[in-house]
Amino acid sequence: MSTERRVPWIIKYRPKRIEEVVNQEEAKMKFVSWLRKWPNVQKRAALLYGPPGCGKTSLVEAAANEFGYELIEMNASDFRRKTDIERIAKRAATTSSLFGSAKKIILLDEVDGISGREDSGGLEAILQLIKISPSPIVMTANDPWDQSLKPLRDASEMIKFDRLKKQDVVRVLRRICEAEGLMCEEEALEYIAERSEGDLRSAINDLQAVGEGYGKVTLSLVKALVRPRDREHDPFETLKNLFSAKYAWQAKMALSQSQLDYDQLRLWLLDNIALQYTDPEDRARAYEALSRADIYMGRIIKTGDWDLLAYAIDMMTAGVAMAAKNNPKDKYRWVKYTFPQRLTLLARTKEVRAIRDDLARILASHLHISTSLAKSEIIPLLHVVFMTNPEYAAKLAVGLGLSEKMIEFLAGPEKTTVLKYYREFKEAIQRQALQQAISTQQVAKPEKEKPKPSTKTSKKVKSETKSSLLSYLKK
Amino acid sequence: MSSEKFAELLWAEKYRPKSLKEIVNQEEIVRRLMKFVEEKNMPHLLFAGPPGTGKTTTALALAHDLYGEEWRKYVLELNASDERGIAVIRTKVKEFARSKLPGDVPFKIVLLDEADNMTADAQQALRRLMEMYVETTRFILIANYPSKIIEPIQSRCAVFRFTPLKKEDVIARLKWICEQENVECYQDALEVIYEISGGDMRKAINILQAAAALGSVTVAHVYKVVGLAHPREIREIVHLALAGKFIEARDKLRNLMVNYGLSGTDILKQMHREIFSADLRIPEDVRVELADYIGEIQFRIVEGADDEIQLTALLAKMALLGKKIGYTA
Ligand SMILES: Nc1ncnc2c1ncn2[C@@H]1O[C@H](COP(=O)(O)OP(=O)(O)OP(=O)(O)O)[C@@H](O)[C@H]1O
Ligand SMILES: Nc1ncnc2c1ncn2[C@@H]1O[C@H](COP(=O)(O)OP(=O)(O)O)[C@@H](O)[C@H]1O
Ligand SMILES: [Mg+2]
Ligand SMILES: [Mg+2]
Repeated sequence: MSTERRVPWIIKYRPKRIEEVVNQEEAKMKFVSWLRKWPNVQKRAALLYGPPGCGKTSLVEAAANEFGYELIEMNASDFRRKTDIERIAKRAATTSSLFGSAKKIILLDEVDGISGREDSGGLEAILQLIKISPSPIVMTANDPWDQSLKPLRDASEMIKFDRLKKQDVVRVLRRICEAEGLMCEEEALEYIAERSEGDLRSAINDLQAVGEGYGKVTLSLVKALVRPRDREHDPFETLKNLFSAKYAWQAKMALSQSQLDYDQLRLWLLDNIALQYTDPEDRARAYEALSRADIYMGRIIKTGDWDLLAYAIDMMTAGVAMAAKNNPKDKYRWVKYTFPQRLTLLARTKEVRAIRDDLARILASHLHISTSLAKSEIIPLLHVVFMTNPEYAAKLAVGLGLSEKMIEFLAGPEKTTVLKYYREFKEAIQRQALQQAISTQQVAKPEKEKPKPSTKTSKKVKSETKSSLLSYLKK
Repeated sequence: MSSEKFAELLWAEKYRPKSLKEIVNQEEIVRRLMKFVEEKNMPHLLFAGPPGTGKTTTALALAHDLYGEEWRKYVLELNASDERGIAVIRTKVKEFARSKLPGDVPFKIVLLDEADNMTADAQQALRRLMEMYVETTRFILIANYPSKIIEPIQSRCAVFRFTPLKKEDVIARLKWICEQENVECYQDALEVIYEISGGDMRKAINILQAAAALGSVTVAHVYKVVGLAHPREIREIVHLALAGKFIEARDKLRNLMVNYGLSGTDILKQMHREIFSADLRIPEDVRVELADYIGEIQFRIVEGADDEIQLTALLAKMALLGKKIGYTA
């Protein structure tokens, strides 16, 4: 996993030159000639409008880049109150900052997003700015036809961007595939393009989601992963649609139209199958289908063969939906679905699990075993020792180098006693070390080898331990 | 260091043989490995066998005997259950393999423990490494299930099969440890420990230590330790599921997994014990059917499926079976 991976492709493949902006020939011509002529133009501002992801912002950026303008940008993520607009105007007016070129474009992106309430006075300030600005003002909008934008429309050169055609989208996708060295099926790209409805941004995002995750772009992967963006069902609707599906394709569509991805759906089904289906046989059948889906997922992780995903999805959608054979009426029952408990539980027990994981790592390194074996085999026994013999437990804690938090975790109700011994022992060891340091200094005898405790002392130690054990047991 | 009075280790660590000659049982293997030490040369090795039979111990002892006390300097030890992906192979392992060979040793060792948990692509990546750096780096792979090691890797290794330790060997070793620790122990208690642990010496030693912490190693203490460490809940879960109380069973199951951190395999193993216990009153043929289900689920989990989903599916099956035989708690 290289770090480079995280760059969104819509950034990486942003057009740098005007010619790289595909399809919008008319808009490009109109905009460029307006920009070149500025300020000798009829309208001192330009308003670029059109559907999302068709190249509006890209064109402005590419033009600025190509003709050497500095771009001063404000978009919907910025406040655009009167004072903010004025601040921008001032910035534009101050000629060349340190490296900035004298030529500037003020880009007011997404002006249809200007809020009447939050950005009060913003529109008036923009109109004012258009009148006095020493630099061209370019605005973009998806929908410029709102009544409130009329003054802006009147003051602007209106430049229309068209929805991209399917073939243009495919062309860009193909180019990216080549640049990324990805194996892409032509039908897969067409499928993505079709679904994107002319929104190249979303198409590129889809391509990246599939291509980066799976290393190739095939029709079956794309079909499984890419869903139309228009309307996504929430988890509750998704479950309802899935369970009540009469046909396999309906069940599959429930997933493809869902906010949930297949991984999340797995967990939602895990908790909710039992709520929807009441007949034991139906239940067993549905869980078996989910189990089959899960097996495919495991194999995908193991083998990296993402072609299997299609089967996993079949099982968890159609497989579950078709399971209600004894009691088909259950399919349509109204059910109050629950949020996956695993997620809530995991969130709630996060701290404890972190302690347990750290503890398991320590044990694993001492015993040369995996952390999962440490959890299943060693920790349960330590629980027993810590809850029944605090003094001995404290010695183990010292010897293994456990933290106080780990001790609390292991000892539960006995934690104060174990901790008391633990602190005592640690202090004793420190005292001993100090004494030893002093005495070796005095004697100045280099005692490199670890002296093995003579059997006599160690016997004595053992019997001490034992007697304290016995005294504990007598309690 | 006399800090021993205030500090203690786990006995499985404390009494782990340091050198090949201390290893109990596995004579054939040990003899062959000693030859390698003598010759200061060896092929890539694959140690296969059930848990707690001395595979890791033997590998570490081999390194110790080859390099002496400083052996850690020449060994890269990785547990593939925790670091199982291809990235580890491409970074850590590769860097170590191609790092310069210290002048004083014939080769370095990469020890990949629990290698059967490595992903397939990680194994593929290993395959080239094993050839490219064979002159300076030898691999020791350790696995419970050698069949999960891909063929090309097996073919590059000399395979050694470890067998479960014999009853008398386990008991003798436990007795010896008790003598070292000056702990009172009883023969019948040691036999019970062996019954519970099979030939898994690690498990045997751990149970021994926990029982000793209760005062002495008696049958009662052994059972107490094992009982406490393995909560009754599992029996409950089986009862509830068979009685058709699916949702309650499922909630208990989840609690065990999330709060106790038990893995699916742990739970399955204990369930397997439960279904054959006399307390569970079900027809004998149903026990067999259940065992088959449990085995199938365990197989799925080993294959990489999700523990909780698989166990929940098992509970649903149990509920169905319970209904068929009219089970009541
Ligand atoms: N016509 C196009 N030519 C080349 N690439 C394009 C085109 N349209 C969109 N893209 C790609 O999609 C991404 C988003 O495009 P851009 O930011 O220009 O969209 P936009 O029209 O400003 O959309 P919005 O209305 O949502 O702001 C760009 O980074 C670019 O990679
Ligand atoms: N053959 C053996 N001889 C002596 N001790 C053993 C032997 N096998 C296992 N043990 C003990 O059991 C513990 C676990 O053994 P280990 O080598 O880690 O098992 P594994 O085969 O699972 O790698 C060791 O610390 C050691 O104390
Ligand atoms: Mg834009
Ligand atoms: Mg091991």
